[in-house]
Formats: sequence, structure tokens, C-alpha cells
Amino acid sequence: MSSVRATVCANLGLADETVQDVRPGEVEVEPGPGELVALAERVVKNLDGRLASLFATDERASTGTFALHHVWSLPGLKTFLRVRTTVDPARPQFPSIAGRHPAANWFEREVMDFFGLDPLHHPNPKPVALHDDWPEGQWALRKDFPDGGAVPREPGDRHPFRPVTGEGVFQIPVGPVHAGIIEPGHFRFGVAGEPVLYLQLRLFYVHKGTEKRFERLPWRHGLFLAESISGDTAVGHSLAYAHALERLSGVVVPARARALRVVLLELERIYNHVADIGAIATDVAFVVPASRAQTMRERLVRLQESLFGMRLLRGTVALGGVKTDVSPQGAQRLRSHLTEMEVEFDDLITLLIDSGTFTDRVDATGILSPQAARDLGVVGVAARASAIDADFRRDHPTDAYEGLRFEVPVEKGGDVRARLMVRAREVEQSFSILHQVLEALPDGALVAPLPERLPPSSSALGWAEGWRGPCLHWIATDAQGGLSRVKVTDPSFLNWPGLAHAVPGNIVPDFPVINKSFNLSYSGNDR
Amino acid sequence: MFRIIAGSLKTGRVTEAHPLSRRPAFGFPVIDFTRCTACDECASACPTGAIRAASGAPGQRTVSLSYGACIQCRECVTACPEQVVSAGREFEIAAHTREQLTHSASFDVDDAGRATFVRMDVQPGPGVAESASRLRDRIQGRLGRSLHVRQVDAGSCNGCELEIAATTNPVFDLERFGIHFVASPRHADLLLVTGPVTRNMEIALRRTYEAAPEPRVVVAVGACGCSGGLFGEGTYASVGGVDRVVEVDVYIPGCPPRPHAILNGLLVAMGIREARQNPSGPTRHTDPLLSGDARPEALSFFLRPPVKATGEI
Repeated sequence: MSSVRATVCANLGLADETVQDVRPGEVEVEPGPGELVALAERVVKNLDGRLASLFATDERASTGTFALHHVWSLPGLKTFLRVRTTVDPARPQFPSIAGRHPAANWFEREVMDFFGLDPLHHPNPKPVALHDDWPEGQWALRKDFPDGGAVPREPGDRHPFRPVTGEGVFQIPVGPVHAGIIEPGHFRFGVAGEPVLYLQLRLFYVHKGTEKRFERLPWRHGLFLAESISGDTAVGHSLAYAHALERLSGVVVPARARALRVVLLELERIYNHVADIGAIATDVAFVVPASRAQTMRERLVRLQESLFGMRLLRGTVALGGVKTDVSPQGAQRLRSHLTEMEVEFDDLITLLIDSGTFTDRVDATGILSPQAARDLGVVGVAARASAIDADFRRDHPTDAYEGLRFEVPVEKGGDVRARLMVRAREVEQSFSILHQVLEALPDGALVAPLPERLPPSSSALGWAEGWRGPCLHWIATDAQGGLSRVKVTDPSFLNWPGLAHAVPGNIVPDFPVINKSFNLSYSGNDR
Repeated sequence: MFRIIAGSLKTGRVTEAHPLSRRPAFGFPVIDFTRCTACDECASACPTGAIRAASGAPGQRTVSLSYGACIQCRECVTACPEQVVSAGREFEIAAHTREQLTHSASFDVDDAGRATFVRMDVQPGPGVAESASRLRDRIQGRLGRSLHVRQVDAGSCNGCELEIAATTNPVFDLERFGIHFVASPRHADLLLVTGPVTRNMEIALRRTYEAAPEPRVVVAVGACGCSGGLFGEGTYASVGGVDRVVEVDVYIPGCPPRPHAILNGLLVAMGIREARQNPSGPTRHTDPLLSGDARPEALSFFLRPPVKATGEI
């Protein structure tokens, strides 16, 4: 018995044989529905478990039931724990853990929306994904859902926003079509003059049926869909998908490809972080650093284009490796570009934090307290800015991360400045990671051979710490080895409630900069 | 303050002098149909169905490639056993109809199953010149050299938005062409729409369209905006290409289209550039803007030599 399994058993009070070692870094337990709530409690208390994903599967064709899956990250053990429970189709309900673990809130409501399984004792069991005009009794991710065209619209405003009343108190509706060149979503501010009383979100405007789409695609083509989950996280999501498939089929990625994957993921981190830092400056009308950051980003994406073919690094990750090699000259070019960029970047950050008018806008703005961040299960940059020390690159290392030296920057403030500083410090770490990798690129193949078919009726997790936070994919195959379910968890899905929590108490004009400091993906959230 | 000014002086002008006719490593795939054997290796490798191989009447076969659905993944290039699919280097593609983005060829198949190229098919609908003149008639020169653009994300993955936003950065500086992004459809001459249009954005897109004053021009951006792309058309969540909801005047394919291609598409919509729907097809364009590295005469109004060269970006 592995020591990880023993530790899990001991801490959760489970008998040995109930916990399965699925594959390295992944254990599974299958309790009855009645034990689910108590088990979640122990996972959090005894193992410092953090909810990474929660989803359902429709297994009526094979086992006659639905199944509910909780995926917990156990950073201390470098392991994921998947808790699977069956749900009887005759009683389509499951015990909710959202009352005790608010991180499960949206996940459970999404299961309700797409599978028609009701979370029992959920504190707020309203639809999160379905819009008002979606008809009753249609569940898109059930296997018998006829995905054959437009679903009729049902009139009516069934889920009104929480009203605000009182003198001088009113609502500001924003979106779905926003004023800038950004994605759509609806924000409803309840305000008393300038200060925001609360913020309600209505998202899923860009719900594209991605998870259902995966089930219709050959698994090799799924990689391209993964690249399009969130356009700014092409590498993060395609790596998560590739990792899941590789783990599922036992493919060992060659050393050179593992190193180049690190290069790709870190480049994606740098270009997005630099753009975000510029965007934060834009939102407080500090034009000079904004322009410099945009120029810096443009130069980097052009270099990416000349090295890898695509500006935004699409089509770079292959199943079993990477698609494009980097020549010694290319590596040298990248390194000297990074060396120059380090100086420029350092100047940029100095320019920002030395400016009193800038720090005045970002200090103590949009505070997400560590307690709230922990309760809501916030991840990634936003979590690390609220004193949560978590990073899948260190806690669940993949590819070549195991052998690299890097720090995980953590800030305590939880405000816009903290999120800015986490980004700035992460960029510095990424520079160092890239130099370490490019200095000693191992030789060898770029891609490992793939099997003709995936193993039938099995499943695997895949993950990558994207620039925004962890991207987690869970892939299950059917009896023929085709994709039967792909669950995609984008960090934004866990972080949007964090934004809604950070805004109240601030003034309306500070919303754009708070929003930018989180910079969450709508498409990744809505899929 | 002094440091900021000194820094800016030192940086000089970063704006690119020639924003068009760049040649990156690859743009869209090109099939040499005359050497194609009409097997369906490229079609089955294509994740979006941009390439289709179909058998019609007995002894006949067609192969078609639509840039509208192409995500530039190059799977077809690696899949082709005859090496007749190559990665073209041009990417500033735009067209006025979906059909103009499609190239298809007919083949005769003999008893042994060998296919021989017969002809390139003529696509239904108007040609580029005819569409362009219709668009010119409709806007009647009212766009001039000032174009106000409202961008609408009707379901995109955000990739297109990143590249559209990049056109406003100091390196491209779209504003020098008189093109401004505005905050409201009521101020807009043109809607720059990305897709696939989702069920949940269909109404919002229609309302945005109705809020824009006539004559309004609609430009669909990206593989998904042009055709539904990877997300398909007519699923429970994706209505499909932008033209499924509102009439589209110009299509800019790509996944995502590079900022240069977006700028090119906008210039096509303004009637400044001629649409070019084929990277290296049989017809050669006479448009001076399209001839290699020659300085684009019609754009010289906007282009000034850089104050100081800042090295290649």
C-alpha cells in the first residue's frame, strides 16, 4: 500500500480497501451518499483539502446511475482525491456540501442545471448556468439530451435579481455587451450613491456547450477544443487536456518536450501578466506604463510567433509532447529577449509603485480577505494575493517543474496592489524558470507515440497551473474508448464569487480596476 | 515626472511603419488541387470540417477547403500523403460571403479508384468585386476616413478579443487609420462581431445590431464568427456563425486572426482595400496594396516614416 493511500485512509477514518490508488498523484474513494458531507469535512480539516472541482456524470447506460464526483487537491500529499458517489435516477438528488464549503456553491448548481440532479439543503439552489429562457426539464449534459438544434425559448423573468430599496439606493445594470473590447457578462450593482452595496453576477452568456462538444469529437481533435476554452490560456488548458489523456493511456512524455512545455506555460504567464499589469494602469488612467506594458507584450507575442508559429501559442502543445522544437539559436534569441525584458519590466514596476497617485488607487482597493478567499475556494493569482500559498506547479508538479527552483509569491493584502504584486513577482520567477530550462534543454524526441485507442471505460485527471490559476480536466472514456465525459474546470469558475465578494464597500469607479486585477475569463467560466 | 519623459524620449516611436503584408511562418493552408488525389486524409485530420471530401455522382469526387472554418492548426499539412497541402504564408484574408472563402475542386475517379483533377469549381453567389461594389453602394462613401467600431463578443473564447485589442496597442496603433473603438453601438458605423453566436448572446447581438444606426456594416471575425468553428452550428448552445443572426458584410477568418488580418478586414469593409479570399489561387490580384512589399499607395496618407528605428519588433 502506498504511503499516500495510508495517510488518506488514516486521516479520513476509512478502511484500507475503500481507497484506490488510481495512478500516481490520484486516489479515489467511493462512499455512500450519506457519508459525503462528513467525508468532505474530514478532507478539509485533517488533510487541508481544497476543492478543485465538482461534477456529475451520466452513467445510466453502463451502471444504471448518475455519479457525483468531488475532486480535492491535497497539496501536502501532492495528490488529488476523487470522491465518487452514485445517484439513483429514481431519486435525482445528492447531499450538498455548499453550506459548509462555499467553494462547492456554483459547482453544485451547475450539476443541477446540466444534469437535473438537485443538491439537497443547498443554501441558494438557483440556476447558475441556465438563463431565464431555458425550458424546464431539459438537461444538456445528460446522455439522452437530443442536441439537435435550437432549444425553444421560454418567456418570463424567473430568477429576478435581489432588489434594493431605500432612499438614494438604486441598481446599475451593466452588460452583457460591455463598453470595452472584452467578453460579455452581466453585472448588477446595488449602490447607495457611489459605494457599492453588493454585486450580483449573471454569467454563462458565452456558454458554448464545450463539455458536450468534447463528447462528439474524436479525442485527438479534443486538443483544439481545449485550446479554445479560454483564448488567453491556450497552453494551460491544452496541457491539462494532454496530461489527462497521457495519464489515461500511460504515455510518457519525452524529457525535451517536458522542458519545452514549461517554456510555453511560462511564456503564456508572462505575456498575460504583463498585459494585465498594463491594463490595471489603464484603468487608473496611468497611460505611460500602460503603453509600455502593451508594447512589451506585443514584442513578446511577436517573438512567440516567430519561434512557435502562433502569437497566442495555439497549436504548440501536442498529445504526448510538443509540436514545435526550439533551435539553439531560437533558445538564445529568447534568452536575450528575456534578459532585455527583465530590465524593462523592472522599470515598469518601479514606475508604478513609485507613483503616489497610482498606489493611492490600488492600495486597500477591492480587498478579498484571506478568510473569504479560503472559504470561497479562490485559486491562482487571486488566492496567492490573499495569503493562500497554493500553486499546482509546486503542489502537484508535472512536466519538468519537479526539478526547477522557483518561489511561489504570496501577498497578504488581498487588494488590487497585492494582485498586481503577485503578478509582478511571478513574472520575475518565470524569467528565472525560463533561463533555467533554456540553459539546459535536454535532447531527444518531441512527441511520444500515442496508442491507436484510449483504454475503454477509464478516467484520469490532468492539470496545469495556468497563468490565472489551475486548469483541471477530468476525462472519462466509454466502452469503445471514445470520450464519454470531459469536465473542464477553469480557475475563473472558482474566482468569480471572489470578485463579487471583493467589490462591495468600494466605489463604482473602482470596479473596473478591481475587475482587471482579477481578470477572470468569461469563456473559461461559461465554456 | 522627469524620468517618465526621459524614458519616453528614449523609447522613441514604436509604431510599425508597414502594418500590412507581413509574412509570418504560416497563414492558411493551400491545397494544390492539380496534384491532389482526392483521398480524404486531410479531411479526416481537420478538426473543424474546413476540409471536406465528398463523393457525388458515380466516378466523381469533390474536395473543398473553407478558410471560414480553418483554425490554422496545420493538421492537414502533416496528414497529406502526397504533400500537396502546404502552409501558405499569407494570412490577410477577407471576403464578403462565406462562399468566397471556399475553394473546391472536382475530380474524376476511374475504376481503379484513382482520382484526377478536372477543374476548380465556381462558388455560388456574387464574386468579390460585385460584393464590394454592393457594399460601396450601400455605405455611399459615408465612412470616409473615419470609422467608429463597436466590438461585440457574441460567444468567443476571447482569443479574437485579444487580437482585436492588440490592434489598438502602440505598435499597431489602429487609430492612425481613422479607426476608433467606441463604447456604444449607437456611436458605431461598424460592428466587429466574434462568435460563435451562443444561444445566450443571440438576443443581445440582435439588439446591439438594431441599436446601431444605418448604414451599419457587420464584420464577422474568427473561424467561430465566420462559421461556428470548433463549436459547430445548431447545437443547444451555439447558434453558429454571425451570419446566422445578422447579415454580414465582411468575413475575417483565422483562429484567431492576427491583428494585421483584422486591420486588413476593416480596410476592406471601408472600401480602401480589395478583399482577398485566396492566398495563392489561380487568380492574381491587381490591387497595388496586395503586390508584395511595395509601399501601399492608398495607405500612404496614413503612413509616415518612423522618427527613430527601434529595431525589429
